[in-house]
Amino acid sequence: MGIEMIRDILTVNNLDGGYEVFIGGKRRVFVHAVDNVSLTLHDNEVLGIAGESGCGKSTLAKMIYGAIIPPLIVRSGNISLSTKNGDIVELNKLNIDEIRKKIWWLEISYIPQNSMNVLNPLKRIKDQFINIFKYHGIEIDRNEIMKYLKDTLSILGLPPEVINAYPHQLSGGMRQRVVIALSLLFNPRTVLADEPTTAVDVVTQRIILSLIKEWRENNKSSLILISHDMSVHAYMDDRVAIMYAGNIVEVGNTFDIFKEPLHPYTRALIESLIRKGDKSLRKGLTGQPPDLVNPPPGCRFHPRCPYAMDICRSKEPPSISLDKDRYVRCWLYTNIR
Amino acid sequence: MSVNNNLKVEDVTKLYGYGLLGLKKFKALDNITLNIDLEKPKIVVLAGETGSGKTTLLRIIMGVIKPEIGRVLYKGYDIHRLKGSMAKWYRREVQPIFQDPYEAFNPLRRIDSYFYDTAKNICEIRDRNESEYRIDETLKFVGLSLDRISGKYPHEFSGGELQRISIARALLTNPKILLADEPVSMLDATLRVGILNILKNLKEKLNMIVIYVTHDLSTAYYIGDDISIMYRGTLVEYGPTSKVYQEPKHPYTYALLESILEPDPAIRERYPSIKPSALELKEFLIAGCRYANRCPYARDICWHKLPPFIEVDGINVRCWKYLNYKE
Repeated sequence: MGIEMIRDILTVNNLDGGYEVFIGGKRRVFVHAVDNVSLTLHDNEVLGIAGESGCGKSTLAKMIYGAIIPPLIVRSGNISLSTKNGDIVELNKLNIDEIRKKIWWLEISYIPQNSMNVLNPLKRIKDQFINIFKYHGIEIDRNEIMKYLKDTLSILGLPPEVINAYPHQLSGGMRQRVVIALSLLFNPRTVLADEPTTAVDVVTQRIILSLIKEWRENNKSSLILISHDMSVHAYMDDRVAIMYAGNIVEVGNTFDIFKEPLHPYTRALIESLIRKGDKSLRKGLTGQPPDLVNPPPGCRFHPRCPYAMDICRSKEPPSISLDKDRYVRCWLYTNIR
Repeated sequence: MSVNNNLKVEDVTKLYGYGLLGLKKFKALDNITLNIDLEKPKIVVLAGETGSGKTTLLRIIMGVIKPEIGRVLYKGYDIHRLKGSMAKWYRREVQPIFQDPYEAFNPLRRIDSYFYDTAKNICEIRDRNESEYRIDETLKFVGLSLDRISGKYPHEFSGGELQRISIARALLTNPKILLADEPVSMLDATLRVGILNILKNLKEKLNMIVIYVTHDLSTAYYIGDDISIMYRGTLVEYGPTSKVYQEPKHPYTYALLESILEPDPAIRERYPSIKPSALELKEFLIAGCRYANRCPYARDICWHKLPPFIEVDGINVRCWKYLNYKE
């Protein structure tokens, strides 16, 4: 077909939602965790979502993955995914059973943070793999699975004994690698990794990230990587989206974000990072992220923002496109356009 | 006299059980020796991976865990044998702060009550006005005040503020040593720096010793004067932070420093590849150097005998690489 254009594999349009909680069966409280988010994931790229705890990044991941189970609700917006055979599926229109059978593992898979809670503690590692083949109705010879398993696990640097082990016999880093092997089993085109290395130490973190990186480059898949750790984003991402209190405040190429952050929050975040071999005094931000039940009017960052103007306190800033693939949501940049 | 004015950890070994019923034992800490001079204010970092024994060592210094072998001497007194008023004295001298500030406070108890209780029970200040004055003073040191916290409950504060409050609570007794167990790992990046700067101030303005336990080597460098690197229950290297970072002597320290990811996309191609780790427990049970399994320089002797400490360029290191040992 000649030159291939950059294609979008996943598009999120004006997604809005959160958690609906009833207190005492009567008073309804809505935690507005994802506020009007639009994002696109290109083919063959790593998109990072960065933000502090409680900014809604995991909620956004759950929505994209289609795991919308009450109290999580989606109020508006849509998510469309292009599948392996070229169809465009609107994920939020499917019911959970369809998503389970047709989408999960095959099209999108999910690498969770804490592998401890994902593996069945009563089943050997090999049986967990066999179960997944069975669930998706794939007829495969047991010996063939074993051979395949040993190959995959050795790529991930795990000894062959692992397939006969129970989850509790493995260390955290090894379990995390098993979960990664599971989620990449059917070569999905989109992988969602939610803080894949937060629970492991630095040496294991490097190994796991390098494995994911290598696998993705070989398979030309796309990865959405969610992490609070900016160093992980610097190592992995092609593009980064910065999230603050349910909003995506800035999206851009990784190099641009680190070198020239535009949004005041991104700027504070980048400035507060401590680098190895640097003892110069750094400044953090004061205050704390807003309560998502009752977010401040206008820009949600204005109470902590050093550049806050009158308009920031009353009106939500629009998303301003400054360049190809560079967006910022801040009133400071409205004139530049 | 300077002889008795130090904190000495002498050959401390702590055993933990494993396996069915925990009858088999492994050494969670093996022969740890540390000497901290109380005359010189500084920040000492205990760094290592999860399960390296850094928190166990801190708890032994705190006095809540007793080691099987060895002892901890503070100004010449064995802290695990102190009783009555002497035990109280040690509790005034050495104060801890913890990783998760939300877990450190009872959610149903008012924050200020912790301060009044500490003032009454540990500092033995009976006068209400005097204790209020002292509490306000310590809170001001961390950028808060008694007015801001009085009558409030833990959920009304952010994680960063609560960690400040727990530092202020610890300062109330006028301690010489602050034991900080991963004080910033639960906090967001933008709030982290504020807490680290307070720890720096403790050293500079109050002449305190801070023992800072962390797995994060970039924050360790930011505030640390001396660093001890732990691996699977052994102390492998001890020296001034800048020296250790520039020229790590132990192969493990080298690997650890190489694998830190930095918040800079420009250097992502420069990371070298590393070997995945083997089973944790197996490594604890090695009689010699725990790192032998992964070490590129491992010889026969490394598996059988724990190397002694030797000084190389101002850094104390435990590695056979620097010793001419004839097998």
